[in-house]
Amino acid sequence: MLELIGITKVYPGNKRAVDGVTLRMEPGLLGLLGPNGAGKSSLMRIASTVTKPTSGQVLFHGADVVAKPDVLRRTLGYLPQDFGVYPNLTSREFLGYLAAAKGLSARSAKTRIDELLQLVNLTEAVKRPLGKYSGGMLRRVGIAQALLADPQVIIVDEPTAGLDPEERVRFRNLLSDLAADRVVMLSTHIVSDVESVASDIAVVDQGRLLCRDTPEALLRRVDGQVWELVVAADRVAGLQHRFLISRLARTAAGVRVRLLSPAPPGPDWVRVAPDLEDAYLAVINFGAGQTAAVR
Amino acid sequence: MAVRDVIALTTADFRDRVRRPAYAVILLAAVALGYLAAPEGDARWVVMYIGEYRGVYNSAYTGTLIALTSALWLTLGGFYVVRNGVSRDRSTGVGQLIAATPMPTVRYLAGKFLSSCLVLSSMVGVLAVTALILQLARGEETAVEPVALLTPFVVMALPLVAFTAGMALLFETVPLLRAGLGNIVWFVVWMVVAIGGQSPDALFGGIGVHEVAASMAHSMTAQGIDMTGGGFSLGLVYLDEPLKVFVWDGLDISAGYLAGRLAMVLLALLVALAPALWFTRFDPARRHGPAPEPFMPMASGGGHHGIAAPVRPEVAAPAIRSLPAPERGGAYGRLVAGELRILVQGVSRWWWLGVLAIMVAGLALPLGAVTQFVLPVGWIWPVLVWSRLGTQRVEYGVDGILGAYPWSRRRLVAEWGAGVVLTLLTGLAPLIRMLAGGDTAGASTCVAGALFIPSLALAMGVLSRTHRLFQAFYLLWWYATINGIAAVDVMGAVRENGAPAGPGPLLVTAGAVVLVAVTLLTGAARRNVRT
Repeated sequence: MLELIGITKVYPGNKRAVDGVTLRMEPGLLGLLGPNGAGKSSLMRIASTVTKPTSGQVLFHGADVVAKPDVLRRTLGYLPQDFGVYPNLTSREFLGYLAAAKGLSARSAKTRIDELLQLVNLTEAVKRPLGKYSGGMLRRVGIAQALLADPQVIIVDEPTAGLDPEERVRFRNLLSDLAADRVVMLSTHIVSDVESVASDIAVVDQGRLLCRDTPEALLRRVDGQVWELVVAADRVAGLQHRFLISRLARTAAGVRVRLLSPAPPGPDWVRVAPDLEDAYLAVINFGAGQTAAVR
Repeated sequence: MAVRDVIALTTADFRDRVRRPAYAVILLAAVALGYLAAPEGDARWVVMYIGEYRGVYNSAYTGTLIALTSALWLTLGGFYVVRNGVSRDRSTGVGQLIAATPMPTVRYLAGKFLSSCLVLSSMVGVLAVTALILQLARGEETAVEPVALLTPFVVMALPLVAFTAGMALLFETVPLLRAGLGNIVWFVVWMVVAIGGQSPDALFGGIGVHEVAASMAHSMTAQGIDMTGGGFSLGLVYLDEPLKVFVWDGLDISAGYLAGRLAMVLLALLVALAPALWFTRFDPARRHGPAPEPFMPMASGGGHHGIAAPVRPEVAAPAIRSLPAPERGGAYGRLVAGELRILVQGVSRWWWLGVLAIMVAGLALPLGAVTQFVLPVGWIWPVLVWSRLGTQRVEYGVDGILGAYPWSRRRLVAEWGAGVVLTLLTGLAPLIRMLAGGDTAGASTCVAGALFIPSLALAMGVLSRTHRLFQAFYLLWWYATINGIAAVDVMGAVRENGAPAGPGPLLVTAGAVVLVAVTLLTGAARRNVRT
């Protein structure tokens, strides 16, 4: 349905933001994970036709959307990481304008906007100008505009930033629902955003695709390599030097340390079930083809 | 510590400003103006002359010529370059970071003032080099005298750019002058300075012309040249015959003259620091008046200013998959309406009352007065609104969303259509009167003008991505029109024997078409090279 083939993006100054990435997507939710500056947003902008790649192809149902972007844009819902709104317009006016820009008929636009405002819980705020909205409310307006034209492809870049925990859960569920018969591409550096909803996870770093797998397959990569122990606080620095620490939690008895290691780090360490964050850290730090290694 | 603070702020602000395209545009315009000011000996135009004479292009004359013309240009164009030092800090959020530091407001303002002075002085420096190149290129006198060449830049141009920098800062800290209205007010101030500053009684020596004129007249008399041919003039003039030349070795700078120039710099500093009395250091809670804070595009995790009442999300949301698929079609009219709503968003009721007054005057006054006065007023009134064309998507960060929307050219055309509707609205009463009075030539020109002006605004907005270029350019254009220069009259306001004397409606419409084409091509090019 949507294919990114050999995508490379080189910015002025020879900064290679995306380096030969190939991703083929069918209906379902693809979570794009990577640290800040990994090239996720560049890749998302290329997939959404906002930026032209330096080389490579973007195909939608086989059509080249780099040459003819409107083929995809007509059926695309895109929520960029950073966006603005017209501050003196209300959400209904703003969405009305965007619906017209998408070519929706007047009747369809009205019905759709009413439903979307209800969906994103903004019905009580429709008369307020957008300049008076909070960050989370504006992000919900952004989500609503992405869904205006019943898109077949939804590309959302760091969509849950600024949302409160309840809204995050709600939005994740919404995307999961949409992904049943649409391509949904979600980028984030927060693993929990994709943990429960992604059918596929791609990890990128320094512009390169490190791996693409199902969540279960990613977990299998670090199965048996995650360990936990409560240690004295003064031991943490030494452990951080030797192992990849995935979590630290202060407790009354000391610091609960969770780390990755192919072998037991010591006699009292307890092997625990890995989660996606452990797997992600292992891929980022040790590469896709290797298991966790002692530093 | 205090000096280090100011130097750090000045340096950072200076670097940021000179890396912006507007700096290069104004600098290039200044260099081009310098080139225009010192044409070849047989050229049929002149910028500075006295009687039927101009000076030989030696160091003193070339330096003075370029210093005076560039000072005049930089007080206008330069103002629009440096007048966003504080507003940029406000819109980027840097201001709030600075506000939370112990740096006193006076030091902040001093840093901004010095930075603006540096920006404009660097342009003056480039123009001094231009003057040297022009002197050598013209070849009338190849001996270079550095002191004679540079002194006019130091004593004439630099005090004026300091004054401009101070006023720009003052305008930024007065809520009423902070936005587009300030750009228009400055144009009027500049006209007063440019004309009144040539008077012998001008405060602090004005723009410094009077002493130059007196010195040149003295030299000419000493060389036995008849002075009955006319006085000193500074401004572009076309000539029937090339001017004769005389030798001028420069201005003997008196202590009084120098004191006047120093006083101008001190005044500029006072003007720049005076806002410390009322500047609120980016605290929205201390904001006076209804002027809204500039709106910041939203970044992930960021919020907007203002107080938002919480809207609690319900966990159970309607299922999105149950929503009916939308129908398409018939959206173009709503798109134009949407663009019109965006164009006039936030415009005050007073502005609309002004439009109403223009309409009433257009319907009530005699036709002659309507074409000569009401139509020009009607087509200067929306200048701040027109200047939004082509800029708002970038200004508010909406292009982040619209970049992935289809039919980008249709949106641009819709935006242009919104501009045309607004222009027709403010010119509607004169148009009706012309049609009712059988003035079809005037009505045709009026309609063509209604196509041309928003085309110009949109093209300049899309090219520059700032309001200021159109505001400054159109004010000059409009000023020329109301002063009877028929060649630039696209309204039909300048009349000869009752008929419009300016370009015909077909030519004006063709100009509009070219501008729209430039806009569409620029938009497409921007999209193609987007990073």
